[in-house]
Amino acid sequence: MDLEKAIKRYIPMSETMFYILLSLQTPNHGYGIMQHVKEKTNGRITLGAGTIYQSLGKLDGDRLIEAVKEEDRKKIYQIGELGMRILKIEAERIAELYHNSEGLR
Amino acid sequence: MKDTKSVWFPAYRYVVPAKLERWLEQMSMSGWHADRIRQWSSLYMTFRRGEPKQYRYVYDLQAVPRRDYKATYEQFGWELVGKMASVYIWRKDYDGERPESFTDTESLQQRGSRVIRAISFSFYLFLLAAVGLTVGLVLFFDGLTTEQKIQYAVGMLLAYGFTVYLGMVMRSVSRTKEY
Repeated sequence: MDLEKAIKRYIPMSETMFYILLSLQTPNHGYGIMQHVKEKTNGRITLGAGTIYQSLGKLDGDRLIEAVKEEDRKKIYQIGELGMRILKIEAERIAELYHNSEGLR
Repeated sequence: MKDTKSVWFPAYRYVVPAKLERWLEQMSMSGWHADRIRQWSSLYMTFRRGEPKQYRYVYDLQAVPRRDYKATYEQFGWELVGKMASVYIWRKDYDGERPESFTDTESLQQRGSRVIRAISFSFYLFLLAAVGLTVGLVLFFDGLTTEQKIQYAVGMLLAYGFTVYLGMVMRSVSRTKEY
């Protein structure tokens, strides 16, 4: 998938997608991602098995992430070059939101 | 007292995934567990008597799961009860908060749309049959005996009935808040 298409498809993105991509800067499997995201959000977001499985399939199919290893049927994924660019574009958008919401808090 | 209990057409009585899940959970709460779900369980499901248990059941339709599908669920502590047609039934016992497998709206909607896609196949099949029978009846009306006309009409009514039923089911799957 080229960058333009990926931008259309993923930006703005759901919290689920954002945190999965963020988490996959370090290679990990589904359950590890859930634990990492739970820790990062102080328990606010607990991703379920079905949600993670579906999201990984979508991200992998669009080449934002890639499977780097397989350990007894558990796939280890890592963010790819396209995923990293998308993640940064989304981070910029969130920074803008943050900037524009100053004074509301 | 009998130690097993069977229910006919469970997957047709509870077509909306969340309803089937809730029903299996209520059965388990009253001590009836669907310990093995097989290909034909959508038509005929057997429950075994046991201790009442608080389970969370999950309905997940996966026509072509990837190699890591089962491992992902198992890592999260889900037990595979079985598979009927393309529907995987998972469960997990719990105290406190009811665990979820689909934790955001997007993935819940995706699960719903997979179910709708599967149902729409049968929907169009019945619609085709109903329309075919109607056309046949109109074309050959004069040449048919009364008995044949009745048979035709009954077939037509059944086909239309199923079509309307499946249409309603698809609407309720797509509308329900809980999917």
